[in-house]
Amino acid sequence: MSDDLFDRSEFVAYFRDETEDLLQEIDANLLQLENFVSSERVDPEIVNALFRGLHTIKGSAGMLQFGSIANLAHKLENLCDLLRKERMPLSEGCVDILFLGRDVLKDLVDAAIAGREGDTAGVEQVVERLDRFVAVYEETSQVIDGEVGPTHRFEEEAQAEIRAAGVAEIEAFEAEVARMLAAAEAARRDEPPAERVVPAETARAPEPEAAPAANAIEKPAGEQKHRANAHQTIRVDIERLDTLLNLVGELVINRTRISDIAETLDRSFGRKNGAADGSAGALVPLAKDLAESSALLARTTSEIQESIMKVRMVPIGQVFDRFPRVLRDIAKARHKEAELRISGADTDLDKTIVDEVGEPLMHLLRNCVDHGIELPEVRERLGKPRSGTIALNAYHEGNQIIIEVTDDGSGVDLERVRARAIKQGLISADDRLSDREIVELIFTPGFSTAEVISDVSGRGVGMDVVKKNITRLKGVFDVNTEAGVGTRFTIKLPLTLAIIQALLVRVADELYAIPLDSVIESQRVEMSEMRTVHGNEVITLRGQVVPLVRIAEVFELGGRRDPEKAMIVVVGLQGRQVGLVVDAFQGEQEIVIKPLSDVVGRIPGISGATILGNGAISLIIDVHSLVSEANVNGRVARAEYSGV
Amino acid sequence: MQEKLDRQQLSGDAVKVVSFHLGSEEYGVDISQVQEIIRMVAITHVPRAPHFMEGVINLRGQLIPIVDLRSRFGMPRAEHTKSTRIVVTEIGTKRVGIVVDSVSEVCNIPIESIEDAPEMIAGVGTEYIQGVGKIGARLIVLLDLTMVMSGEEKRQLEALEASPPAQ
Repeated sequence: MSDDLFDRSEFVAYFRDETEDLLQEIDANLLQLENFVSSERVDPEIVNALFRGLHTIKGSAGMLQFGSIANLAHKLENLCDLLRKERMPLSEGCVDILFLGRDVLKDLVDAAIAGREGDTAGVEQVVERLDRFVAVYEETSQVIDGEVGPTHRFEEEAQAEIRAAGVAEIEAFEAEVARMLAAAEAARRDEPPAERVVPAETARAPEPEAAPAANAIEKPAGEQKHRANAHQTIRVDIERLDTLLNLVGELVINRTRISDIAETLDRSFGRKNGAADGSAGALVPLAKDLAESSALLARTTSEIQESIMKVRMVPIGQVFDRFPRVLRDIAKARHKEAELRISGADTDLDKTIVDEVGEPLMHLLRNCVDHGIELPEVRERLGKPRSGTIALNAYHEGNQIIIEVTDDGSGVDLERVRARAIKQGLISADDRLSDREIVELIFTPGFSTAEVISDVSGRGVGMDVVKKNITRLKGVFDVNTEAGVGTRFTIKLPLTLAIIQALLVRVADELYAIPLDSVIESQRVEMSEMRTVHGNEVITLRGQVVPLVRIAEVFELGGRRDPEKAMIVVVGLQGRQVGLVVDAFQGEQEIVIKPLSDVVGRIPGISGATILGNGAISLIIDVHSLVSEANVNGRVARAEYSGV
Repeated sequence: MQEKLDRQQLSGDAVKVVSFHLGSEEYGVDISQVQEIIRMVAITHVPRAPHFMEGVINLRGQLIPIVDLRSRFGMPRAEHTKSTRIVVTEIGTKRVGIVVDSVSEVCNIPIESIEDAPEMIAGVGTEYIQGVGKIGARLIVLLDLTMVMSGEEKRQLEALEASPPAQ
């Protein structure tokens, strides 16, 4: 019975999402709070926000019987309460312990969601530290004394729950929770959206710590709503979006059919207006109406399609948000001072890429602090401000997003890189390398200039991994460095992985799509310009010999050769150029990639398929495997050797 | 053979099949394996796919491979006509469309009127046949779609993947 009422996994998933957001918020707030350490006044808004976040986590965790999470959140909340009531001065130690507590809390949450036992020793340590830290102030305060009680009670309750973990009791508890949730949900629905106009002070009013359990459960629901109102966003499973996109595809096909019918009707009746007899005459205006409606339908459908594509796009700020904290920790660990300047956080890109780009960026930031930014004393001596600046900038450029990570540190020490590379046997001492080539060395797997392996960077799994990750996302990674001035890493990524720009071509009555990023040019070539080298067709383009590959022949499509001219798409392949011979160019288009391999197996030369606006399928050409299929590599070599 | 049908027997005394024509013969597939039946649509040819793989179609945004059952069974290919249909089947988690000359009906075949496959049925290997159902004068060859789609197709697909680039 309890299963019907309480689907725990659903709540855990909700808890995960909610807590993830809250921990992120807490992190941001702690960073702000840290700025107040040196000043007298603390912005009460920040402390209140911290308090609220921790309180919500505590409530939700308690509801799901994550005892240790609730307990730790509670202790941290207590500390914030002391700050809030100004019973405790804000100190660096205080912020540090909050940061630490927040991290341990995150570990606990991750562990709980994965169904694991958290690092209990670590938790105990933090809890103990927190207790000791808080104890000093609690002793001096009468008011807070009252709050020690509930702290212990909470622990006791949790332990009691664990001890008495009888099945019947859990079921009863779950039923009770479900009932309360249902009540909260109902209350939420019935309530008019008055929450938005409720003065913020009311929502933040200090609550007695020993609130009855029911309150503790209902409050998060209220707060959740408050936050939702603030952001005006909802969470949607990405699969649902894909389903939506597919449905729109279906709509597009039917739209095309309706247009066809309207056209046929128009042709049959529309033109013989005057001569129409009785029955056909009535159809004339109808045909006209249908034509108009279908045009409108076409426009709306395209707009829907476009909108759904856009829904998949999220601001890159989602990734940037966690970096200030990362930077703070690294800088602190390295005894350096660094400030992060973020711009372009609202630049949109595909959700899949946003998820993937975080790790490489994090690595770059670490690298900037570790190898770029100098120690404060050194910087002062060099006439730079004590605190280094790392700028994180994102913007759109054409169909790409550019992310730049710039530091004003020492730049890449070319001599050191060179010496290191020689020592590691990557190059020999006699090699003459340009500055650019030396910089490129930092992307070699296993390369590291750090003498001592630190926990931040220097394990030699740095820049090569970054580069590999970016390449995997079909991106380009570049680095510019100037000694003493700083380093700039530039990442260029496609806006989406699922949608690419492609050149559509016709070969033997079928449409094929060639990814535009590999296309160099397309042109018409007269037969007289073609030559044959060792039985292989080539053309000469600006002095370069370009071997030709006839797609129709590689794919065994039949069809006949045009004796006078050929349409050629020149593609770049590992620095070489190859001309693909097609029948006709059909223009450029944005296409959505759909995998084909799980449908018909892997086929050399084909990387996937796409469904065009009119519902037709076009196969996407995998330039690399197509050309190796045609064994052009050998031909290129031969053609080049013969010196044509 | 009898074992194969035991499962169906448990659910009733008759097997429910979708019957269709290929040439002069009538075939049937278990209705639980049929997802839908659609009219002929434009099939996109996939180069270098196995010979019986006619291509792919777009079914509500999903790519569905289309198998020409005639060439699968070694029969001569036929022109697509007004009555040509694609039977979209679900085999395991895979959806595959099969092209048939025409679809007749959904019919119940009593278990007792199903016989084991005879040694030879024109073109079709006996491994694909579950049995032959009799309704009056009609003979309906019951296909085991799992076998139809696995056996040779699997080998061919594997061979395709294993083959080195053509010289």
